[in-house]
Amino acid sequence: MQQFVNITLNGLSQGAIYAAFALALVLIWRATRIINFAQGAMAMFTTYLALPLIESGQSYWAGFAAALVAGLVLGALVERIVMRPVEGGPELNAVIVTLGLFIALQALAAILFGATFQSFPAPFGLRGFTVGEFTIAFTPFSVFVIGSVLVVMLALTALFRFTDLGLRMRASAFSQEVSRLLGVRVGRMLTLGWAFAAVVGSLAGLLIAGGNLVHPAYMDAVIVYGFVAAVLGGLESPGGAVAGGLIIGLALSYVSGYLGSELVTLAALGILVAVLLVRPRGLFTRVAERRV
Amino acid sequence: MRRPGHRGLATGALAAIAALLISSCGAGGRPEEGEGGGASDVGVTAESVKVGGHFPLTGVAAPGYSEIPTGAKAYFDYVNANGGVHGRTIDYVYRDDAYNPTNTSQVVNELVLQDEIFAMVGGLGTPTHSAVLDFLNGEGVPDLFVSSGSLLWNQPGKNPQTFGWQPDYEVEGKIIGQYVKQHLPDAKVGLFLQDDDFGDDGEKGARAYIGDQIVAAERYAPGNTDVAPQIAALQAAGADVVIGFNVPSYTALSQLTAMRLNYRPQWIYSNVGSDPALVGSLLSRFSEGKVTDAAMLEGVITTEYLPGVDAPDNPWTRLWQRVWDAHGGRGELTNYRIYGMAQAYTFVQALQAAGPEPTREGIVRALEEVGGELRGPAFVPYRYSADSHAGLGGVKVVRIAGDATEDLGPVLVTGNGDTEITEYTEQHAGPPANGIPNVEPVS
Repeated sequence: MQQFVNITLNGLSQGAIYAAFALALVLIWRATRIINFAQGAMAMFTTYLALPLIESGQSYWAGFAAALVAGLVLGALVERIVMRPVEGGPELNAVIVTLGLFIALQALAAILFGATFQSFPAPFGLRGFTVGEFTIAFTPFSVFVIGSVLVVMLALTALFRFTDLGLRMRASAFSQEVSRLLGVRVGRMLTLGWAFAAVVGSLAGLLIAGGNLVHPAYMDAVIVYGFVAAVLGGLESPGGAVAGGLIIGLALSYVSGYLGSELVTLAALGILVAVLLVRPRGLFTRVAERRV
Repeated sequence: MRRPGHRGLATGALAAIAALLISSCGAGGRPEEGEGGGASDVGVTAESVKVGGHFPLTGVAAPGYSEIPTGAKAYFDYVNANGGVHGRTIDYVYRDDAYNPTNTSQVVNELVLQDEIFAMVGGLGTPTHSAVLDFLNGEGVPDLFVSSGSLLWNQPGKNPQTFGWQPDYEVEGKIIGQYVKQHLPDAKVGLFLQDDDFGDDGEKGARAYIGDQIVAAERYAPGNTDVAPQIAALQAAGADVVIGFNVPSYTALSQLTAMRLNYRPQWIYSNVGSDPALVGSLLSRFSEGKVTDAAMLEGVITTEYLPGVDAPDNPWTRLWQRVWDAHGGRGELTNYRIYGMAQAYTFVQALQAAGPEPTREGIVRALEEVGGELRGPAFVPYRYSADSHAGLGGVKVVRIAGDATEDLGPVLVTGNGDTEITEYTEQHAGPPANGIPNVEPVS
């Protein structure tokens, strides 16, 4: 029983991290209509930027804020400098460019920060809560992770559903020309979409790094599972991304705990294939058909 | 804006041309030299012997392991500065495979076909080195002292060029198993295993002694850093002793996860995963009030087969310190660097035994003939013979206490399968005064 509870709770906190990452993918998808494979590498990079700050005696939160701001700037710069030339062309071009960026950032991080494992501090305790005589696999930091993910999810939903800005972002993503005719500054909207997505990505990077070991490739697994989570949720809805993340987190934790750790990646692939076969538009999309 | 780019390009082009020139010189110059003490085989010239290795310099297995080749390099430089072996310097090339077997195949191809090394020395890792075992044996490259305790390296019939070096995991598992049986007979034992030969061989050894005490065997897939489900399962099975056959980063991860679950068994880690300095440094950032301090491994039981940095007065450690101070690069002497130096020492012994005209065939034959008699930095001898390419045959069980270790028993030796565990009584001799072995050439 205790094992089941612990595996479940572990799955939830892992799932929250995948969800955070899936949210970043959803955001950029809704704002620019491309899948950003460099998201994980960008998050890794900004997380690494926080490390020397915290090392030099600043508080964890100073590093945390610095990483988020760095994410905002990095996202905007990447859109302006790297993505702008390929925007408006075939979608595949943009996707390939993000793949290249992914590799370049990872190599750059290895050069700048070293390729070895380093531990990353956490702002809250890493000991599980005690319930009765048991200690459960749920730490104050897990609460922080899940709380942050929920806040981001609500903020994104509000952004896209209730604000003028969200509407303009969605419009520019769907049809640049029409939006431009209607007076939307499309270029700015795209930059903003990338910047916001990079902030959410940075947050995911920080959440998974906290109380764990980081190295330049530490986001790789999260990219894969976060992508599966986003597809599961339909790539459109923030709520779907979070649900997808939690489902993936739980499923993989059960597979690892009861079937074997070696089957985890296979299980993720199985889930992805099954979802794409049965509901290619994801479990949580309401819009049946929307092609541009 | 433009100029630096051009200069970079020019430098790159120059470097490429230089590399081409050098490699073509090497390839062209080799076979012509006929005079004595010259080029007796691939990778051997009148002045040098070229050897290679593959190591994880980046990625999950890099902490610790990436220091091994720096130690070996320092010792080879020390030998070179003191006249080399039979007048030849040792030219040591090592490449990064990131602990990824696909990369290993590629870099070993480069080492053998492009760098034209005489022998492999200390190639690291079970999954990685398995990928190049057939290639190296097919090419007839001596594959000496694999940095892994897998049983795969001891198959002289199938892989005549390959030799193990460190105590294999089965031997270690047996000795740990016997210790638990004798000293913790009522304990419920859980196993935390890397899901490959490393974990399997260790489990085999341990089960030979405590098969009835083992209540759970959990495996982790290397690369998957979430080990909470495995640790939760060990906890649920009620294991109060956990034996880990895992790499150092997973020692840190298992300790972190156990802390999260408030799970406090007696931890026993195999030698491979237990370096206190490395694991301590991995865990040190969590120490701000949450973990007592870097001495998180206090009281952990492990094994030893080489005197390490925690015994600074041991004559071998003093030699390694001297070598590192004179020829080392950045950083301090660590147990991983000592491991690399000890391997390099063994290679120098083997090269001396191969005589003034070393050939690939000759060095293998020399190891089979006199390898079992070689004595060096390890507490116990190698098991090399014509029928065995197994490395060191034993370890001693120790407990980590502060920055050092304390012995929990004598040095024990055994073999694979049913071989009994016996106490090893030969006094461990110090190194030669000049720090360089002096082995007579075979025949």
